[in-house]
Amino acid sequence: MSRLGTALVVEARKAAAAHVTVATTAFLVLGVAAIATGMTVAARSGNPQVVAKLGPTAGIGGWDGLTAIALQVTAAGGVLAFGVVLSWLVGREFADATVTNLFALPVPRTTIILAKLCVYLLWTVGVAAALVVVIGLVGWPLGLGPPGAGLAESLGRLVALTLLSALIATPAAWAATIGRGILPGIATTVAIIAVAQIMAVAGTGAWFPFTAPALWAIAPGSVSAGQLTLVLVVPGVFGLLTLHAWAVLQLDR
Amino acid sequence: MTSRIHARALTRTFGPGTGVSDLDLDVDAGQIHALVGLNGAGKSTLMRLLLGMLRPDRGTVRIDGRELPHAPWARVGHLVEHPFAYGELDARTNLVLAARLHGVPAKVAGTVVDRAMTELGVERYANVRVRRLSTGNRQRIGLAAALQHRPDVIVVDEPTNALDPAGVILFREALLRRAAAGAGVLVSSHHLDEVARVADRISVINAGRLIGTLDPHGIDLERAFFALVHRDDQRQATR
Repeated sequence: MSRLGTALVVEARKAAAAHVTVATTAFLVLGVAAIATGMTVAARSGNPQVVAKLGPTAGIGGWDGLTAIALQVTAAGGVLAFGVVLSWLVGREFADATVTNLFALPVPRTTIILAKLCVYLLWTVGVAAALVVVIGLVGWPLGLGPPGAGLAESLGRLVALTLLSALIATPAAWAATIGRGILPGIATTVAIIAVAQIMAVAGTGAWFPFTAPALWAIAPGSVSAGQLTLVLVVPGVFGLLTLHAWAVLQLDR
Repeated sequence: MTSRIHARALTRTFGPGTGVSDLDLDVDAGQIHALVGLNGAGKSTLMRLLLGMLRPDRGTVRIDGRELPHAPWARVGHLVEHPFAYGELDARTNLVLAARLHGVPAKVAGTVVDRAMTELGVERYANVRVRRLSTGNRQRIGLAAALQHRPDVIVVDEPTNALDPAGVILFREALLRRAAAGAGVLVSSHHLDEVARVADRISVINAGRLIGTLDPHGIDLERAFFALVHRDDQRQATR
């Protein structure tokens, strides 16, 4: 097996056994499903507070309404969940002092961190798939009627939003490496969320890669293809920065 | 004789009086070379330099004839500071993953791991998550991870920390077997009696420099050790 293959096996085993990844998957998937279900039921019964909170989404109804709420909740919570897991995947090697065992190996450290990032992305694909399945499962007993033509597109947007949210959390990996721990990664994730909110309120969010995914998911017409493509700069730049940080890593502090 | 570890003029300082400076070290094939020194003397820094965890300000390191960072790492086993022991995984899985990272093919990794667990006396913990093990048993897992792939170069920092007397004996025998098979071993320890039982050569490190050697068969190692350190401290103070 190639060195990358070996590193992928090792990192996948570690991630699959970790409480952090299992708990975050459950928290995000079940949390989004529970909130979307609760708000759909509340909006249907005319709860004024929920209707006011949802704004125009409250009037959509049916499967499209449920997925629209799921998109809003995922946009709010996805980056935090992904940032926490990525911070842990990378930062735990420093926090637990296991990083000494990743030196002096025939598998280079850049291959190990690349494997961590690949495992992270594979996990987010699994989370996206689970979200779609669970939204389908909770929507059925709600009696939302037959799925409309737009349902596939809405669910596709939910998958895309989930993956884009995972990609814009990649600075957490770099911060966890530079800061030698889990907390710097989580702090960076919180900063990403805060700055994205500020840019959205300021009205320039579509051009800001950390804001564009959520804006696009909630109002697709407000973000152009070029603005959405710009999001890929974040994982590109921070992925390379993280690989470089591991290539030159020294245990000097 | 083949030099497993060959370091020359190795220097890495973190500030006045810290790190290592102008240090030469050789560990030959079949030799157990012990490194003894007080806390902060530079033992861990030296081991980190030899394993590529730190880059030297000056000097070179060769592992089996190849200069860092291009050492034949598959033939190196090490335990520096924290054992290869991920708490969420059971002992056997930890060892399988360590073996794979050291280049052991998947189809023989299970056999290699079973042999190592028997050698270090941890078979009964094979399916126990490492976070539930005692510190001593975690250390045994880490030592098994360092030795199981039959490395030609072994670097272990304070390996008997937290080990019970039975664990110390098992580790000592494992180390002697590896050296008899041709491995070069560098081991640091605070326990002079312990290193005297296994070492072919004992080097004393003080303030980041090798200041002399102790006779492993000497009568009062402790007295000889402190005499060397005291003499070096006085020499430094008068400079």
